[in-house]
Amino acid sequence: MTFNKLSVGLALSLCVTVPALAEIDLSGSWAAINDEDAMERGAGPNPDDWAGIPFNEAGRARALSFEQSTISMPERICWFQTQWHIAAGPFSLRMWAVPDPLTGRVQAWIVGAWETRAPMTIWMDGRPHPSKNAPHDQTGFTTGVWNGNELIATTTHIKSGYIRRNGASSSDEAVITTHFRRHGDMMTVALFMNDPVYLTEPYVLTRSYNLSTNPVSIGGPPCIVGDEGVESGRVPHYLPGTNPMTDEMFKLYGIPKEAAMGGAETMYPEFRDKIKDKFKLPAKCVRNCGGGAGAGAN
Amino acid sequence: MKTKLFVLTLAAVTLLGVRAYAHHSFAATYLEGEKMTVQADVLQFLYRNPHSFLQLESKDDKGKSITWAVEWGGGGQLGSQGVQRETLRPGDHVIVVGEPGRDPDAHRMRMISIKRPSDGWSWGGTFD
Repeated sequence: MTFNKLSVGLALSLCVTVPALAEIDLSGSWAAINDEDAMERGAGPNPDDWAGIPFNEAGRARALSFEQSTISMPERICWFQTQWHIAAGPFSLRMWAVPDPLTGRVQAWIVGAWETRAPMTIWMDGRPHPSKNAPHDQTGFTTGVWNGNELIATTTHIKSGYIRRNGASSSDEAVITTHFRRHGDMMTVALFMNDPVYLTEPYVLTRSYNLSTNPVSIGGPPCIVGDEGVESGRVPHYLPGTNPMTDEMFKLYGIPKEAAMGGAETMYPEFRDKIKDKFKLPAKCVRNCGGGAGAGAN
Repeated sequence: MKTKLFVLTLAAVTLLGVRAYAHHSFAATYLEGEKMTVQADVLQFLYRNPHSFLQLESKDDKGKSITWAVEWGGGGQLGSQGVQRETLRPGDHVIVVGEPGRDPDAHRMRMISIKRPSDGWSWGGTFD
């Protein structure tokens, strides 16, 4: 074999083994780093705290009508969340690629399920999204493209779901764009919620993960419906003007109501200047002031 | 030793990503920081995910029966803390301390501690 033939052969073999479009391997178990928004993702946010959510009037009205016991209705206890749950939930991720059996090319990326979220199948084969009249569910329909080393997934056809676990909701017209960026053994996931029904601007959250050798469970333990104190047939809610917790953020932390009620301007740093004269630092923090404690049976 | 064990458990749970998940917000459901005590008999122990619930029955001042729904950790979380499906049985008399629900008519609590005087068994702690 001449040198030239060897060079050509080597080049061809590299072409075969190096993926096109600069895609990178995202497969593996990714352990969540839950420092960001720890309270919101763990025990849950304070009621009626919607600061930083770009609500329109409809979004705020829906949030004000929400009563927590709604989720204790028997038919809703095990209700799946939408793919936005990746942004707002605490769990780790497991990802893997599904090859096309004939070509070997990646047909889809899968983000494994949680106990309260269906798996996200990111179709990479160029298939179109379904008709706008196609059925919606919590899983939605997701396609992906590579932008350099970044995988961008677009999810449509979801049902209405939560944005923050205190009543802030997205509609079934919402579109979630998820950016997966790997940096060595770390991954950043940035999620953009665009919702023409309840939001005036995109709502953005980012999450960070460490690559782990401990396998992340797929699906988690099963959810089982049980009596959580809401009798069958009752629909907990607040009628307009009757939500009793709209002053809670002011009472607890001195945060003015106009900040707690959300809206696009509450996302930006300059909003602090607008409300600085209305903010009253409480003499003592009485709730969710940090710290924790262990537990165990004796 | 307890602190070390807690840190190790927390680290394992974080890595494995298998902890139970508060599907609703505790802060929005219960009056955090407040406490109430109920002496009652166990009606049912729903040992399950995402959260376990202990159904209790007590009597008010007029002898009327009141049913309490006490929210507790998920099965996986409680199991790692020594609480099993058979730990509590219908008829057990228990003393429960918990955070009251925001709706007083719902007779709902978030578990802080529980004690069974008949044999001295007890549990206390936090869960999410």
